[in-house]
Amino acid sequence: MSNHPDFMVYTEALEKVYQLGDEKIEVLKNVSLSIPKAKFIALTGASGSGKTTLLNIIGGIDRPSSGKIFVADQDLTSQNEDALSDFRCNNMGFVFQSYNLVSTLTVAENIAFPMEWTRKPFEEIGKRVDELLETLGLQHRANHFASQLSGGEQQRVAFARALANDPQLILADEPTGNLDAKNGNKIIQVLQLLKNQGKTVIVSTHDEQIKALADQVLMLEDGKLASENE
Amino acid sequence: MSNFPTNDLLRRKLQTSLTIATLTLSVSSTLFLLLFSSRLGINTTSTAVTLTMGITGALSTFTFFVGVLVFAVGAVLSSFIAFLMMAQRTRDFGLINAAGCPNSLVAGYFITELLAVTLTGCGLGVAFGFLTDFGVSNWVFSAYKLPNLWFGPGVFVTFFVFSLVFGLWPMIKASKMTPAKALSPTEYNGLTIGSKLRPMSRWGLTWQIASRSMYRRQKASIRLVILLSTVFVLLTVSVAGGIIARDTTTSWVQNTVDPKTIVIATNSMGNQYEQLLSKFSGGSANSDFNYSDPNLAIPQSVITQLSMLPLVSLIDSRLVLNEHVSEIDNFTVDPNNHSTSGTSSVGGHRQGDSIVIGVNVDKLDGTWSVAGHFLTVNGSLDAVVGDSIAQSMYAPDESLNINQSNPLVQGIAFENNTFNIVGVCVDPLNNGLVTYVSIDTLMNVTGISSPNLLLVQLKDASSTTIAQIKTTVQSIEPNLNVFSLDKTLQKDTNFLSSTWQTIMLLPIFTLASAAFCLVGYMMLTVDEQHQEYAILRAVGAKPRFVVVSLAIQSLILLLSSFGIGILFGTIITVLILMQQPIITGFTMFQITLWLASALSAIFILSLYPAYRLAKTAVLKIMT
Repeated sequence: MSNHPDFMVYTEALEKVYQLGDEKIEVLKNVSLSIPKAKFIALTGASGSGKTTLLNIIGGIDRPSSGKIFVADQDLTSQNEDALSDFRCNNMGFVFQSYNLVSTLTVAENIAFPMEWTRKPFEEIGKRVDELLETLGLQHRANHFASQLSGGEQQRVAFARALANDPQLILADEPTGNLDAKNGNKIIQVLQLLKNQGKTVIVSTHDEQIKALADQVLMLEDGKLASENE
Repeated sequence: MSNFPTNDLLRRKLQTSLTIATLTLSVSSTLFLLLFSSRLGINTTSTAVTLTMGITGALSTFTFFVGVLVFAVGAVLSSFIAFLMMAQRTRDFGLINAAGCPNSLVAGYFITELLAVTLTGCGLGVAFGFLTDFGVSNWVFSAYKLPNLWFGPGVFVTFFVFSLVFGLWPMIKASKMTPAKALSPTEYNGLTIGSKLRPMSRWGLTWQIASRSMYRRQKASIRLVILLSTVFVLLTVSVAGGIIARDTTTSWVQNTVDPKTIVIATNSMGNQYEQLLSKFSGGSANSDFNYSDPNLAIPQSVITQLSMLPLVSLIDSRLVLNEHVSEIDNFTVDPNNHSTSGTSSVGGHRQGDSIVIGVNVDKLDGTWSVAGHFLTVNGSLDAVVGDSIAQSMYAPDESLNINQSNPLVQGIAFENNTFNIVGVCVDPLNNGLVTYVSIDTLMNVTGISSPNLLLVQLKDASSTTIAQIKTTVQSIEPNLNVFSLDKTLQKDTNFLSSTWQTIMLLPIFTLASAAFCLVGYMMLTVDEQHQEYAILRAVGAKPRFVVVSLAIQSLILLLSSFGIGILFGTIITVLILMQQPIITGFTMFQITLWLASALSAIFILSLYPAYRLAKTAVLKIMT
């Protein structure tokens, strides 16, 4: 257990180094931050500044090279793969820039499967899928494959999947990056909804509208936390 | 862009090397198994001077069928690998096409890649095939003889053409698609079925993901089932066919003499009979032996005395002679044309030497595997010939203008008498160059009035009983001796078993090569699905889920293919390879054990790619 119960995310001197042949690439350098619960955080910075890597480490799909990370009161640094899987399933929802929907599953199935892992009752899963489809305006797409949807629709399905287990923390990696203004606005509405629901949301973005929505904007520059604006 | 094919292949190191490795394995294992089968065939033919022709025929049929199936498995596997490799490129085809590259140029790039991969795979496969043959032949046959080199180019050309044709198929399909369609995952992931079903069921999630993945990739799943079914047909034929054929042929040899039987004859006759029996396993008999020597005769008093002993259950009196025999031809009538022109001749006038054995039909020690039937009490002029007589003197022979020949409608003549052939039997005695007739008839036509050999079946074949029999016999006729056939028969069956054991290396090698090829194939299919599993892992699936889900897919595919393979394999085995098979409970146990082990081994090996995927970090798989 961590000693940081007030924070949803707490990091200490986080470093991430990739080895490419003989070359060492330092993606994150000494990143220490604390994100309180129920806050909307916008993570900004130029391409290659380490935003996605930081989100991946917070989301437990990557590990830091050194430093400490606590998320939702759990020390992710020392967790094994099974524990990290449980953490991802129960505590957070991840929205990828490239949607990452499972192509062999329908929209409804894509939303349902994270709930199936938590062994929720059949009826409850069905009800929750219907609820999320309605909230995100996807009822008519329930039985379509991901490839039959537009980019905006795929991103909304990705949000629905991230919300399936009603996690405390939502991570979104440039969710509007691949979308036009109209579809981008729909996603911003979803983010607004999450903010209103009191979720902790961390969004990596260049979008000014999302930044405007944020309680705090964190800026990464060359792998370092450059500034924190309330 | 002109270096696109080379650069593309080099950048996709894992896929390229996997495809080449699987193709290499497929070609090399097929070539090796063909070379090995042909070596076994040559070995079998060379043992034909010892084994009877019927048994040699069974061995040859078996190796021929296994050879054909090995070739079929290899061809199906290599064509599927090429298909899989190119089907995975449909998206890239669309992508390059969408970027403005003309269809013909994109097709050219991918055909060049296909050519490079299949040429390398097939070339390496031929090289490794010959190398493996060199190593294994030195180990098994202890001396290396140059194989039939034509197998190399034969396998290379066939597999190369198969791979090319099947590899081109998805490319031709992709070239006819709009780039948008080619880019759609419904095409490159092979999704064929939509779903109107609600996502949840009361079954386990892992099962659902596995079954949905297979169901929606119907084309890929069917391809894999076809491949695996062919592998299991081959395995069933090799394993079940091999074991049944081994047991059946062994029983053919064993049953010709009852296990509790001793031979009573003079020393020279007894030794000669043993030698005749051991010719099957390489022994030689005295060709100048005078079987009609009056000194070999067994007095009736010996038979009478023996028949009174309670230890004796049967006395099979035999008159064994060496005769010059002639084929008697016949004719058949065309059922639609009863005039003289509607008949055709069967057989000719070939001649040869045979051991002719006169037997007492109602007191026979031993049973024979017979086509037709054995001698009956009423058929005094009937004969049953050994399989080697049938195949050497009663087979169609174009050089002698004998187009039709069938011993069962023909006759055999010796001592100026003609006998109707009513059966063809498998007999290890004199390597199947034997003819059985009624002992009374044989005595009549030769003028010899006494048998020269007794097969005595005992109730208890202990050494005490045999010693007691010997004392009784020698008290009447001191020239007679008692011989046990156990050792000779054991030598014959051991020889047959060792021949089969060498042949049974085929299923072992087949299983090993099929398993390795399947792992390669599974790695390619896992590679095709890795992105999906990465996403599932990223949103909470445990590594175990990946293994279990892929294991379920593998198990379903393996079990369905196993069922199909066993069904067709059994049909081929029982109806074609070995008609009148002898199947005991132990035979079934051995076959079940073999096939269950094969299934388990292939299943466990097929999990390796899944295990490897589960062990890889999520982010690494995703990127």
